[in-house]
Amino acid sequence: MKNKNPGLALFTFLVYVFLLGPLVIIAVTSFEPGTVLKFPPTGFSLRWYKNIFEVDMFMSTFKTSILVSLLGNLIAILLGIPAAYALNRASFKGKETLNALFLSPLLIPGIVLGFTLLKYVVITFHIPVYAALLIGHTVIMLPFIIRVIGSSLAGFDFAIEEAALSLGSSRLSTFFKVVLPNIKSGIIASVLLAFLESFNNVDISLFMTGPGVSTLPIQMLTYVENYFDPTIAAISVLLMLITAGFMFLIERLLGLTYFTKQ
Amino acid sequence: MKKRYLYLLLAPGFLFLTLFMIIPLLLTVGSTVFRDGGFSIGIYTQFFKDAYFLDILGTTLLVSVMTTLLCIFIGFPVAYYLSKQPPRRKGIMLALAIFPLLTSSVVRSFSWMIILGKNGLVNNLLTSFGLVKEPISILYTPTAMIIGLVHLFLPLILITLVGVMESIDHDLVQAAQSLGASKLTAFRKIIFPLSIPGLIVGSILVFVGSLTAYTTPALLGGKKRVVATFLYQNAITLNDWQAASAIATIMMIITFIVIGLMNKAAAKFKPKE
Amino acid sequence: MDLLQLDNISVAYDQQYILKDFNLSIEKGHLISLLGPSGCGKTTTLRLIAGFLEATDGKFSFGGQDYTRVPINKRNFGFVFQSYALFPHMSVFDNIAFGLRQRKVKEDEIKKRVMNMLDVVSLSGFEKRFPQALSGGQRQRVAIARALVIEPDLLLFDEPLSNLDANLRVNMRVEIRRIQQELGITTVYVSHDQEECFSISDRVAVMNKGIIEQLDKPSVIFQYPKSEFVARFIGFNNFIDFQQREDEGAFHNLRSGDYQFHAAKVPGMPVSMKGAIRPDDIIAGTLQEIQPGDNVLTGKVKVSTYLGRSYQYVVVTPLGEFTVNKEMQQPYLSGQEIRLLFPSEKLVLVE
Repeated sequence: MKNKNPGLALFTFLVYVFLLGPLVIIAVTSFEPGTVLKFPPTGFSLRWYKNIFEVDMFMSTFKTSILVSLLGNLIAILLGIPAAYALNRASFKGKETLNALFLSPLLIPGIVLGFTLLKYVVITFHIPVYAALLIGHTVIMLPFIIRVIGSSLAGFDFAIEEAALSLGSSRLSTFFKVVLPNIKSGIIASVLLAFLESFNNVDISLFMTGPGVSTLPIQMLTYVENYFDPTIAAISVLLMLITAGFMFLIERLLGLTYFTKQ
Repeated sequence: MKKRYLYLLLAPGFLFLTLFMIIPLLLTVGSTVFRDGGFSIGIYTQFFKDAYFLDILGTTLLVSVMTTLLCIFIGFPVAYYLSKQPPRRKGIMLALAIFPLLTSSVVRSFSWMIILGKNGLVNNLLTSFGLVKEPISILYTPTAMIIGLVHLFLPLILITLVGVMESIDHDLVQAAQSLGASKLTAFRKIIFPLSIPGLIVGSILVFVGSLTAYTTPALLGGKKRVVATFLYQNAITLNDWQAASAIATIMMIITFIVIGLMNKAAAKFKPKE
Repeated sequence: MDLLQLDNISVAYDQQYILKDFNLSIEKGHLISLLGPSGCGKTTTLRLIAGFLEATDGKFSFGGQDYTRVPINKRNFGFVFQSYALFPHMSVFDNIAFGLRQRKVKEDEIKKRVMNMLDVVSLSGFEKRFPQALSGGQRQRVAIARALVIEPDLLLFDEPLSNLDANLRVNMRVEIRRIQQELGITTVYVSHDQEECFSISDRVAVMNKGIIEQLDKPSVIFQYPKSEFVARFIGFNNFIDFQQREDEGAFHNLRSGDYQFHAAKVPGMPVSMKGAIRPDDIIAGTLQEIQPGDNVLTGKVKVSTYLGRSYQYVVVTPLGEFTVNKEMQQPYLSGQEIRLLFPSEKLVLVE
C-alpha cells in the first residue's frame, strides 16, 4: 500500500529546512573572515576557531562545564542507580510517589530551581557557589539517570538475578556480576543524555555564577549580548560536533526508539 | 527484598532531593506568605494589580499558547508523514529531528539572531527582492520569541507524536477501511482520536517549556520581558528577593495547574476500562 | 456459478513472487479454507481479496464484476483480523456501528441492527463496554459482529482463533460455522491448523509456495491427498517408491524390489509411482498373526513410544523405515521382528 502524498512530503521537507537550516547557517557563518557575522559569509577563514582557544574566558568556562557535568554525573549515578533498582525491583507503599519525586526535576521550571538554590543553598547555608553549581546540576541529571536506567531495568528479567542468588552468589555481587552487565548500555546512554542536559544547561547555571565561576553556555550568553562576531558560531559548530558524536553513541546503545517512547 | 535494604537504596537520592530541591522550594513559597510573623498574600494581590507585571504575564502566556498551537499544527502532519515512512528513512529523519533537541539552546537561539536581525538573512532577502524598503524588525519582538520557541520545542512534540502513531496498530486502519471508511475518514476517526493522549503529553511539554524558557526570550525578546527573564531580573539585577520568590511561586503554580488540567484531559481521552 | 474468481493472479514484493499465476474460484454460500504452513501465500491471498494489497498481475472478479482495482472501502467485504483490531477508543456498540455509520444508516436503524447482531454473537448487554474490558473470546465475537453487521458480500477470516486457548478455539469455531450457515454468507478462512480448517469448511485449499496443491472437500483431502506435500501436511508419514506399475481392474498392481503391492483405484486421483499411508492405517502384528504375502513387509522394531491410547513404533524394513500406531496392552520390544500389513484401500498414490 503506497502512501503518496506530495503535499505532505513538501510540507515535511519545509519543516526540516526550518529545523536544520538555522544550524547550517551558523556552521557556514563560522568561517566568516570579517569581524561581523554575515550570511552568506564574505570568504573562508578559521580565525574565529583560533580565537576560541585564545580567549581565556571560553577555555576556563569550558573546563568548569566539563568538570561540573562529569562530577555531577558521577554523583547522580551513585544516587540514581540504587534508587532506580529499588523502584523497579520491589513493590512497596508510596512507590509511585517516590518515582514521581525522582522525576520531578524535569517538571519544575529550571529557572525556579536555580533561583531557590541560590537563595537557600548559597546565601542561607553559605555553600560555595562552585559546590552549589554541582548540586544544581546533579538535581537535574538525576531524573535522566532514573528514567533511562529504570526502563532498562523494566526490561530486565529478574529471574536471572534469582538464579544467581540460588547458585550461592551474594546480593551485592549478584548486582555487580549479573544485573549491572545487563543494563550496561542503559547506564552509558543515561550518562550521555544527562551529560548533554547538564552541559547545555542555562537555567540553573545562570544563578550559580560568581567570581571565577561560570559555565560555557552562560559565558556564550554574556558574549552574545555584547558582541556579534563569529566566535560564537565557531563554538556552536564544535558543540554540534560533540552533540552529533553523543547522539551516534546513544543511537548505538539504546536505538532511536528511546526518544519516541514515553 | 528486605525493607531495610530498600530504604538504604532509596535514602541517598531521597535525602539529596529533599535537601536541595524540596526544602528550598518550600522555603521560597513560604517566604512569600509568612512575613513579619504573620500570614499575608499581599504580595500577590500587589502583583496582580501591577499593569507592568500583567503585561509580562500576558506576553508570556500569549507566546506560550501560540508556540504550543503552532507546534501542534506543524507537528501533527509531519509526525503522521514520518510514521508512514519505511524504517530506515524514518530512523534517519527522526535522528535529524532529535539532533536540534540535543543542541544547546544558546546555539539555537543565536542562529535565529543571525537570521532575523536587521542585517540578517530574512531582511537581506526581503530587501534584495524589493519587497520592503527598510529592514523590518522581527528580532526583539514576541514574534521572534515564538519562532525561536517553536524551533526549540517542535522536535519534542514530533518525537512524542511519532511514538504514539507508531504504536497504533495498522490493522485498525485496515479494519476501518474494510468497513467502508476512506483513507481520510480512517485518519479522522481512528488515528486522530488515538493520537490525542500523545498530543496532550506533547503539548504539556511544549507549553510548560515555553512558559518557563529563559534563553530564547532573553536573546530574541530584547526589551520585551517574559516571566522567566523577569524573575532573573528581580533576583540578580534588582536584588528584590521577595518579588523573585513570588514570581517563582506563580510560575510553579501555573505549571502545576497546566500539567494537572492537561493530564485530566488526557485521562478523559484514554480508552476506558 | 462461482461468486468469486481469481485469474492468474501474481503478487510480488521486491522482485520476489509470493503468488504467481494463482487461480481460485469460490461458490456462493460456501466456506472455503486456505490451509498451509506459514509463508505459503494464504494470508497474501486473503489480503488480496480484501483489497489490502494489489495484484501485480491478473484479474479478480466478484459477482461477475471486475474487482481488481476497487478500493478496500468500496468492496463491502467483512474482514476479521487475527489481532481482532477493535478500536480501543470506542465502545462495543460504536465498534459494531462503525461500518453502518460509514454507510450513512439512520441511528435508530443502526441501534436495531447492532443490538440484533450482539444477540447473534451472544453478547447482549455488553454494548457499553470497551474492548479492554472484554476477554479474548468476547473480543473475537465483537470483531465478527462488526464484520457481519454491514451485511458483507463476502466474509474473510485471517487466523481468527490463533490467539485463543484450546477450549475456546473449539467453541468459537463451532460458533463461526453456525453463524456462517445461518446467514448463508460466502466465507474465506485462513488458518495453519488443519483440524480447524477441516471441521468448519465446505472446501479446503491446501497451499504451498504460492500455489494450491489440492482443493477438495475436507473428507476427500483427509483420505486421498493428491501430492506428497499434502500427504505429509495432513499426517501421511509413510511413503513407498515403486519401480513398476500395472493397472488392472479395480487395482494398481505395484512392485518395489521383491515386494508386490496392490492399491485401490480412486477416480480423479493421480496415478504415480509413489504410495503414501497414515501410521494409523498400517496394521502391525507378530509373525504368527500376519502371514507373508502381498502388501506385507517384515521388519524390526527400532523405537517404541507411548502415545496414551496407543503405542507408536518405528519399524525398519527392507523398504526403509515406517511409522505405525497400534492400540495394545503389552508393547512390542525393541529389536523384535514383526510384520506390517498395508491395506490396499488405505494405500494411496500421490504425485
